[in-house]
Amino acid sequence: MASSSARGELEKMGIDQLKALKEQADLEVNLLQDSLNNIRTANARLESAAGALNDLSLRPQGKKMLVPLTASLYVPGKLDEADKVLVDIGTGYFIEKTMEDGKDYCQRKINLLKSNYEQLFEVLAKKKSVADEAGMVLQSKVRQLQAATTS
Amino acid sequence: MSSSMALRDLQRDLESKANDLAKIQKDIAKDHQLRKKYTIQLGENELVLKELDLLEEDANVYKLIGPVLVKQDLAEANANVRKRIEYISAELKRVDASIQDNEGQQNSKREAMMKLQQRLQSIQAGKAKA
Repeated sequence: MASSSARGELEKMGIDQLKALKEQADLEVNLLQDSLNNIRTANARLESAAGALNDLSLRPQGKKMLVPLTASLYVPGKLDEADKVLVDIGTGYFIEKTMEDGKDYCQRKINLLKSNYEQLFEVLAKKKSVADEAGMVLQSKVRQLQAATTS
Repeated sequence: MSSSMALRDLQRDLESKANDLAKIQKDIAKDHQLRKKYTIQLGENELVLKELDLLEEDANVYKLIGPVLVKQDLAEANANVRKRIEYISAELKRVDASIQDNEGQQNSKREAMMKLQQRLQSIQAGKAKA
């Protein structure tokens, strides 16, 4: 099985090497966790954007609304054409899209992020198992060493 | 005595090589940061290009310049993004080459240091015996 051959490799390594490997693997696991969290936050933002779009599309033109000018200042206004939306596509570019295309854009980005998340999660799971294995082998070696020095 | 002078020379040489190695490693770390930055920018620009390609000919494109949204021509936006992608790819290649070069230097410095340390150890062992 794959894990037993990896374990064989780990057993052959010295204690210092094992320690270094485990620390390295733990570092990578943390980095991957951070990336996963970032993807989840971005996904949540996109989902709320998609929700807002859906809501907006239900509103009739001319409907009274409050427009945010700052985080604490809102100004009364009327909803203009809700069929066109401006989409921020990155690097400072904005494109005008129809409501349909806007919703489609959000959905596409959400799908892209979901697939990235799943790929990253697989990598994380593998790294985590390497880190855990290294930790277990390290512990057993330390115990062996202690038993040898005390006996 | 000549052997203790040789010892001191060796130690000084080892120290200076260690300093060189530290500097090379700092450069490698900086290059890695740069590489990360460029990779992220490249990815973002390619996403933008994909979105622009999906647009119809007459669609409106705006660019955020400071606090101002300026209307841009789709063809111009395409050309700009393509140029940026070219530039970033070239920079990425340059950084990769620099990393490779520095890593080679790092390895050869390490080897040289190891040899020096061995000589140092053998001299010290010789002195201890005498």
